[in-house]
Amino acid sequence: MSSATSKPAAKVKSSTSSSSKPASSKTSSSKTGTKTKKTKTEPSKEPFIGEDGVEKVHRLSLKGSSRLVTEFFEYSINTILFQRGVYPAEDFTPVKKYGLNMLVSSDDQVKAYIKKITSQLSKWMYSGSINKLVIVISSRDDGIDIERWQFDVEMMGAAAEKFKKEVPEHLAEVAQRDKDKPEKEIQEEIQGLFRQITASVTFLPMLDGRCTFNVLVYADGNVEVPVEWGDSDPREIENAEKVALRTWGTNNHRVQTAVSYRLID
Amino acid sequence: MVVPVTPAKKKQGGNPVIKARADGRIPLTPSPKVNRMPTTPPRKTSKGEKSVYGGNLTSHFAKLQLSPKSRAKKAAAEKESAASSSRKAVASSSSSSSSTTLASSSRSKSTEDLHLDLGVSDFALAPTERASSVQPSSSAGSTAAKKKSKTTIRVNQGDRFIPARPRGSPRNAGMSGPSSSSGNRPGSAGSNHPTLEGSVFGSNNLDNSDNDDDAIPKKKEDEAYAYENALGNAVGINVNQRILVYKPAPPESSKPVDLRSQYNRAVKPNASAQFRRRILTAPDRVLDAPGLVDDYYLNLLDWSSDNQIAIGLERSVYVWNGESGTVTELLECKPDDYIASVKWSHDGAHIAVGLGTGDVQIWDAEEGTRLRTMTGHTARVGSLSWNRGILSTGSRTGLIFNHDVRIAQHKVAELVSHTSEVCGLEWRSDGAQLASGGNDNLVNIWDARSLEAPKWTKTNHKAAVKALAWCPWQLNLLATGGGSYDRHIHFWNSTSGARVNSIDAGSQVTSLRWSTTYREIVSCHGFPDNQLAIWSYPSLVRNVEIPAHETRVLHSALSPDGQTLATAASDESLKFWKVFERKVGTKTQQEEREEGGKMEKRMTIR
Repeated sequence: MSSATSKPAAKVKSSTSSSSKPASSKTSSSKTGTKTKKTKTEPSKEPFIGEDGVEKVHRLSLKGSSRLVTEFFEYSINTILFQRGVYPAEDFTPVKKYGLNMLVSSDDQVKAYIKKITSQLSKWMYSGSINKLVIVISSRDDGIDIERWQFDVEMMGAAAEKFKKEVPEHLAEVAQRDKDKPEKEIQEEIQGLFRQITASVTFLPMLDGRCTFNVLVYADGNVEVPVEWGDSDPREIENAEKVALRTWGTNNHRVQTAVSYRLID
Repeated sequence: MVVPVTPAKKKQGGNPVIKARADGRIPLTPSPKVNRMPTTPPRKTSKGEKSVYGGNLTSHFAKLQLSPKSRAKKAAAEKESAASSSRKAVASSSSSSSSTTLASSSRSKSTEDLHLDLGVSDFALAPTERASSVQPSSSAGSTAAKKKSKTTIRVNQGDRFIPARPRGSPRNAGMSGPSSSSGNRPGSAGSNHPTLEGSVFGSNNLDNSDNDDDAIPKKKEDEAYAYENALGNAVGINVNQRILVYKPAPPESSKPVDLRSQYNRAVKPNASAQFRRRILTAPDRVLDAPGLVDDYYLNLLDWSSDNQIAIGLERSVYVWNGESGTVTELLECKPDDYIASVKWSHDGAHIAVGLGTGDVQIWDAEEGTRLRTMTGHTARVGSLSWNRGILSTGSRTGLIFNHDVRIAQHKVAELVSHTSEVCGLEWRSDGAQLASGGNDNLVNIWDARSLEAPKWTKTNHKAAVKALAWCPWQLNLLATGGGSYDRHIHFWNSTSGARVNSIDAGSQVTSLRWSTTYREIVSCHGFPDNQLAIWSYPSLVRNVEIPAHETRVLHSALSPDGQTLATAASDESLKFWKVFERKVGTKTQQEEREEGGKMEKRMTIR
């Protein structure tokens, strides 16, 4: 964790937009591990009341945005495990999050397993080195992949600058628009997506028999890989139908969700 | 670091090694770049790293200028040996033009070759080197190359694994190496492949041949690039991307999940709703049961459908009337005998009594008269079960007899399987199957239509199986509980023979009773807590645990209305527990079923 936090030293200042640019451009080579000047880390969560007494919308820092995405991944994994019946419903306890009752596993083993994954994801998110998270649900009996949840992470704004990612064309406009996206709006977007995931059980085929799951990430070629992670094929579903779900995003990230599932013939 | 498999990984795998050397020894700096620089996006990174290596380069230059001669000598000496080996390598490579092959093969195949190659060319073609200035960067390039050649020889020795890398990693790895060294210089900074080539070759002093063949290697490399690109596309590998999977297997689900029931679930989980149900943990009533034989293998307590409790106390059977609370002594057996089991018939009019001698008697409870005595067993009859007119009796010998109490030749079947005392015997409510548990740790499930052999024999228990209970709402579900060495409750699908659930109860299971009101089962236990435990089914959540008796709970019986459990223990007390008390206005499943199975339909919708 400490290594992850030390790397992305660039904090986008919330007050001025111009300050973010020099700060992020300085952190050119993340590989060398050189620490760049740390701009003051200020909590971007609390609403800031300006001198004029008007509530100013605080922009989410890059780190905060990465954290938000990681957290979203954690809840997504839990939600999918619950909704798709990978683990019995009794193993889940409701937690208030995103203005919803999110179900989170209370089974110690499952909890630890997800924790291990998400802690690594957060490291990768902070270093901007992953662009896809995939949850594959497969049959425990014959190992056939049945369902594939894909979360595409695109970077824009300060994140794109910092990690030297090209902002895709279609995001240029979005990036401009979302530069000062209030957190409330982000939360609402996530909420909408989770509602959609929950509702998706109505069109997804029944999962018969015991199922298991795997978590895949699409990472940059030069990413640091812990021993628990190994290379994999994309595990696309054969003869699949793909449904794109809502997109949500912060000022730095954009997450596009899609589920593909095996068509029953 | 995981041993790489994909091309991208290889690149990565190789890097640290080279980098480390580069850090340690300045001359090696070019070689890491050879492997470092990828085609498009990575080019940026190489630029970014310029500064890191820039210092090295200049220092090299300085060094080189200081001792060009010594360098040349050394190089010459070393290169002779190196040259021969490199030529071998060249010869083995199948390409046609010699100089081209030197260049291209070295780059595409191995860094080792590359270095050797450079060395050779440096040495052999030294004269032409300065004369031919191919690129503006030639002089700088040549020094770099010399540097390279010098360093390479050292590198080569330990760097055996590298050869595979350039081939695996798309040609950018092989080709970009020179570009990075020369790319830093103004002349070739923005160079694409041809210029890179040129500068490389210039630096290699291969100008003469190089100029001629310049186009050919270019083409080849382009072809190789295109090929690898196509290959990558075909296989679906993005060179700059790795797909990683978290390898440890996720924990197994504790049990199979049926989504259908999950979707159909109440918003609040069932288990917690049941948990909120208040279960009375104090006995409703306590009666004395003096002289209750402390024998796990007997079955001395039963509650009739007529709300009468029969209990065998040593040599007598007493009947306690649930309505009036009056007690009558129904029978007293001979002095050398004792009561081993009692069982009410379905209508509650008759009572079967198994005796220590092996006799089985049928009594009329109302009249208090013995109707008949059935002999046959040679040892005590510790377990009884009625199936309408049929009475099954299990004896210490391990035999189970079916008696038709309505006919003279009462013994209609002999069920042979158990090798030790039969202590649990239970007909399914529809009379289609009989479950038996024995001191041989077996659970047998018999099909009423073929009694020659058990339909299923289950060996999972590790101790005597006395506790048997058929689920009232799912006919083919049987619960069995094992003795003190086993401590488990197993749930069986009697149709498929599969074990569907298990509980480690923690202590000896002496009896099991399903609730007819709730989706629950109560288990009675022995040492150390002598408790009653109520479990939700199928969640198997333990809702409550009631310390019940001072000694092990030997027998239990459920009242006809399903609300009260009677337990008898060797502390010589008979206690009543209102564990399944119904809220006012609710109906038993029995009643609901009688109403045309409306409930069942509701439960199975979707």
